[in-house]
Amino acid sequence: MMSTCEDGVVARAVAAHDADEATAAETELYRRFAPRVRLFGLKHLADRSSADDLAQQVMLVVITRLRAGEVREPDQIGSFVLGTSRMMVAGQRRGERRRTAITARVEVYEEAVQPASDLALDGMRIAPCLEGLRERERTILLLTYYADKSAPEIAAAIGMTAVAVRVGRHRALASMRECIETRRAS
Amino acid sequence: MTGTRMPCPSFGELADYWTSDITTADAEQIEAHVFDCERCARMLAEADRLRAGISDLARSGNIQAFVTDDVLNRLARDGVRVRYYALNPGESVRCAVWSDDDVLVTRLRGNFAGVESVDAEMRLESGEEWAHTKDIPLPDGATELVMALPAALVRTAPTIPMRLTLRASDTSRRERILAEYVFNHEGALERG
Repeated sequence: MMSTCEDGVVARAVAAHDADEATAAETELYRRFAPRVRLFGLKHLADRSSADDLAQQVMLVVITRLRAGEVREPDQIGSFVLGTSRMMVAGQRRGERRRTAITARVEVYEEAVQPASDLALDGMRIAPCLEGLRERERTILLLTYYADKSAPEIAAAIGMTAVAVRVGRHRALASMRECIETRRAS
Repeated sequence: MTGTRMPCPSFGELADYWTSDITTADAEQIEAHVFDCERCARMLAEADRLRAGISDLARSGNIQAFVTDDVLNRLARDGVRVRYYALNPGESVRCAVWSDDDVLVTRLRGNFAGVESVDAEMRLESGEEWAHTKDIPLPDGATELVMALPAALVRTAPTIPMRLTLRASDTSRRERILAEYVFNHEGALERG
């Protein structure tokens, strides 16, 4: 089972001569790393669709280079994917963004990634959990994630120290996570 | 060569990745770890869904909280339809929620000097409690609290006067009433 293998084993299998094994390995590699590249893109690019594009472009480059035997250390595939992500984002920032032709193969890989309906379901669980927080913690989360304010800015707005804001944010997130998990289980 | 892998960050530390507080060096450290650790990659994705979910809730007008002008500015940028009221201590206001409102915001003015946090309690004319909130933070020298309620929630409120009482929540001043306001709620109204 490819899904239980170490990342390096999967990476080496992409370059395998056996076509069936290579295809299964490509899909598994995509399942593991495309979401991470997408998260990286969300941090460094403007929007979710750009992050989606980045994930597809990076994974196509990674798979192509693995197939061509151009990845010297397949056991360090995570570092290679991250490095490729950084280079492609830097390239986009320099205005050299090129639209790679997205092959039909990407659609096959995409089926291995979490469906969007799961995300919507999480949204439905978030509302009651946010409501259940202490007022102070709810305000901190709204200012952090909706108003995009830093801890010092929030501290000044609500009369706390920046350290207390960070501590309150961590506590609020832990409560939210526990609440969502409980609701997911029930 | 394999370097020493950093220990898995906590969920809160990973969630800091999505804030404007994180330094470039800390973000790069989290990225290096996450590309080598599927478990932490899943937690980082979870933190992303959480922050996106909170933003989506606010953007859809589903905010029941005491907020600041930063949140109101963001609501305005997002095109959320906000109805505003403002009251001084002891004042009453005729209020209603219209069919095209998303959020109702009330600026509760008062003298909050020396108060670190307040408790708010909303009671119906009969004395029955409709809502209460404890430990609302406010900065030194604050002269107002900004209360945001989802229009959908207010549409379900009874059409009778409601009294909002603010008390200092510091232990030493627990019984100290800071201000009272009366909302003469006239219900949910349709345009045209």
